[in-house]
Parts: sequence; C-alpha cells; structure tokens
Amino acid sequence: MPLLSDEIRQEVSKILANLPRSVRLVMFTQEVECAYCAETRQLVEEIAELSDRITAEIYDFQADRAKAEELGIDKIPAIAVIGAQDYGVRFYGIPAGYEFTSFLHAIQSVAVGKPDLSDATLHALAEVRQPVHIQVFVTPTCPYCPQAVMLAHQMAIASPLIRADMIEATEFPHLAFKYQVMGVPRTVINETVHIEGAAPESIVVAKLREALGG
Amino acid sequence: MLDFQLALSQPEAHPSEGVYDLIVLGGGPAGLTAAIYAGRARIQTLVILGPLPGGQPANTEEVENFPGFPEGIGGADLARRFLAQAERFGARLIPASVTGVDLSIRPFIIRTDGATYRAHTLVIAMGAVPRRLGVPGEDRFFGRGVSTCATCDGFFYRDKRVVVVGGGDSAIIEGLYLTRFAREVIVVHRRDQLRATRIYQERAFANPRMRFLWDSVVEEILGEQTVTGVRVRHLKTGETSIIEADGVFVYIGMEPQTQLFVGQLELDEHGYIITDRRQRTSVPGVFAAGDIQDPFYRQLVVAASTGAIAAMEVEKYLELYPQSPQGSDRW
Repeated sequence: MPLLSDEIRQEVSKILANLPRSVRLVMFTQEVECAYCAETRQLVEEIAELSDRITAEIYDFQADRAKAEELGIDKIPAIAVIGAQDYGVRFYGIPAGYEFTSFLHAIQSVAVGKPDLSDATLHALAEVRQPVHIQVFVTPTCPYCPQAVMLAHQMAIASPLIRADMIEATEFPHLAFKYQVMGVPRTVINETVHIEGAAPESIVVAKLREALGG
Repeated sequence: MLDFQLALSQPEAHPSEGVYDLIVLGGGPAGLTAAIYAGRARIQTLVILGPLPGGQPANTEEVENFPGFPEGIGGADLARRFLAQAERFGARLIPASVTGVDLSIRPFIIRTDGATYRAHTLVIAMGAVPRRLGVPGEDRFFGRGVSTCATCDGFFYRDKRVVVVGGGDSAIIEGLYLTRFAREVIVVHRRDQLRATRIYQERAFANPRMRFLWDSVVEEILGEQTVTGVRVRHLKTGETSIIEADGVFVYIGMEPQTQLFVGQLELDEHGYIITDRRQRTSVPGVFAAGDIQDPFYRQLVVAASTGAIAAMEVEKYLELYPQSPQGSDRW
C-alpha cells in the first residue's frame, strides 16, 4: 500500500519538477523498525520515485553507526536532506501531516542551495563564528509549525556552522519532556534559548545572537 | 492514519522580477477561492500564504457546515483541497508572510522577509488572529501552557486538566476536541449560556469530560515554571476562586490582521477593512475578502464567497485598465 495517494503524487511530481541539482535523502532506520520508522523509510522511497534528481539511501542506525555519526544522527527515524553539500538539514520523526510541506520545501531548498532569507538575516548569519544547533519541535497537526521549520532549515543552508532539526514531538516524548515542550512550534537554539510559536526572521536572528552570547 | 499536507509550488527561476496581474495576500478560504477564480480567468496570480496555509480550517479538527460534505470534512483535509485547487488552476503559492505593503504607487509593492513583489491588483485576505485575554501570566506562558491551537498542542495534555476560555463555536468545538486527550475540560464563559451553535452545545453538555463555569472571567494565569491554574472571578457575585489546570486554551474571538494597512486603507473602528458589496476597498485595484473585512459572520462559506467576488472584480478591473506587457503603469 503506497503512503501517498495518486493525487498527492501528482502534486509532488509537479512541485519537484526541474530541481536544479540532485538531492540525497539519507534515511536511518533499524532492523526492528521503530514507531514510524517503516513509514518514514517508505515515504523517502516514494518521494525518490517521483524525481530522477532524488535518491533515497537507507541505512541501519545500529549497523551503519559510523555513517550516522558522520552525519550527526542521534535518533531515529531520521532523514538528512543533502544537496550539493550537507547543509545540516535534518528531520527526526516522520515528516507527515503539515510537515510534509516542510519536507518538500527542504528538498527544493537544498537543490537550489541558496537560502531564501532577507539581506539583513544573511548579514547576521555571516557573522556566526561558532556552531549553532536549532531544534524545532512540532506536531504533525500543527499548521503553524512548517513556517518555523522552514526558516530554521533556510538558516542552516545559509551558514555552514548552523544545523537545524525538525523534531516530531509525539515520537520523541522524552525530548519533549526534556525541553519542556507544552506547545508547538517550540524552537530551541543551542540548548539555551527558546522561541515559542512561529516567529518572524528578525526575532529568530535576535534569539540566535542571544544564544551566542552577543 | 497518516495524511500529507502540501502548501507549496515549484520555485520560480527568477523570483520577484515580473509584475503579477494579481497578488493574493493570505492563503485561507477567501484568498484561495479568489486564486481559484483568478486562475480560471487566466489571471497571473501569486498567493502569499501567510502563517496558516489553508487558513482557519487548517487548525480546525472538523468542518460540518461547508456545503457538499454531508458527513463533515477534516479541517486539514479541506485546507489541503483549497490549496490543491488553487494550484491546479495556475496560481503560484509561496510559504511566506507579508511584512510590508505600499499601496501608494503602481504597480503595488508587497514585501516578504526574503523578497519584494509587484502587482497590478491585490486581494487582501489575511484573515483574523485569535484575540488574547490580556491578563497577567498570559504572555509569560504563551506556548508553554497557554495556547490558541488545540489541534497543535492537544497532544501535550494527555490525562491532564485544561481550561477553555470562551463560549462560541471555536471554544466548544476545540474543547470537545481536547476531551480526546485531557481528562477534564473546564469551559470558563463570561455569560450564563453558550453562544455556540446549538448542535455543538448539545454535544458539549452530553460530554462527561466537559464542565462549565458560567458568568466567570479569567483574571490571571497562575504558575511558577508551568501553568498550575487560573484565577477566575464570578461576574455576578464578584467572588474569585482558583481553578487548578495544566493548560489554558483561549477562544474569545478574533481580531482582523490589518496593522500593515493603517494609513493606507480605510478601516472601521474595530480595524476591519471597509469594503463595498463588490469587495472594493478605498484604493482602486485593491480588494479585500474574508474575515479581514467581515465583522459580522466570519464563516468559511461567507469568506469563500467574498473571495470569489473579489476575483471577479479583479478581472473586470484588469479589463478596464489593461497593463502594458512591461508592467509600466499607465495611471
């Protein structure tokens, strides 16, 4: 049984037509598949079928530990969306529901390889000198969440020091608990700074500066 | 069961260079209906979706009053269909929010964080946002125990106790949705009866997990690290009491999203854009549709109908004032 209906497949094919560069969807699962691991793997494979510029690579989180470490993958299901280079764009948990839009947007964005951000934001991100880890907690039923995820991923594309994760909170309840997630989207920057809700670029940039102690 | 929501178009090779015939601001029922009509009229249309692609149906669990769906339809599903239908007829959908507009020059200028767009006509359909309570504790706990989106955050209140503030359709529909997660949902309402549609009232009163606190207003949201409750005041007796709760969902109405248009369009005293029966605003070529110009009904089907009117008026307007291919103005 395919996950994507014919109607959605058609829409996706249209959206992913003419990708300027190839995209690798590097997915981690394991032999005894976790909750949504099987579905996430299937989703990645179904998307790869819809464009000859997209390839799916499936790894085992246990057996391919070195690969996971190389890409900084520390939980599953995980997808690294990689373009001409690895920009640090990650999805933890299945990008279903409203996050499907974020997922396709990430594919488009790494294929283009040029962030869609304001000049002010790009200038600010060019100043970043230390590693930044942005984690955006979401639920698949949150229509406001893709905005926060897409922005974080754009920032990862803009700066080699920034990596950005979507984390599907219902699949990682221990992380939701650890980061006190009671509402989504909730963005955590470098473990220290939090943003509630889908904030505009300028606010996220200010919070990022705060996290870097500037 | 998994569903997959799509609110996106293929990226443009050279974004934001040309002049669109029409830019629709807002991707809810009004804006997307305008885009469907405009696309079918072969009007070159860009839709800047805003923070909630699909509009308010996207954060509604179930829609039961939209004609054609006798069993009801999931709000997310309906939102997805609106988006797909607009896309099918050629509108470009982009996941961005409008940060600035200039209606004083032609073509009109629309800014998002990443780009500037120009258009000969506009349909403003940015809707309304949930009104806040404006009480102590609300800002501090917003997104951390205070929410206006049950579909987003319901999951975090499994087996917990939540307060829903309000007595209209949204409060009751979302309160009923929250009973799937929470062990108890306490509705705090300022009047002694609900304003919600009767059919929702019947369901709410029949639900063993719902409780009602009449004639009461929330005066403060309490807690140190997390929300622990609310302080409510009874409007008739003046007595205050504390209700223990882990979360507060606020559904006390909506406010139009018109800050960007102050000084550029005529607004009424509550901030709604003033339109005539043809959805025209005070600036020729600028039309408005949906909740941003509707202080009275705020219904999905009404929003969609004003979107259709706006697009038909855009078509007439473009015929009356055709643009040169270069997009230079002739005003």
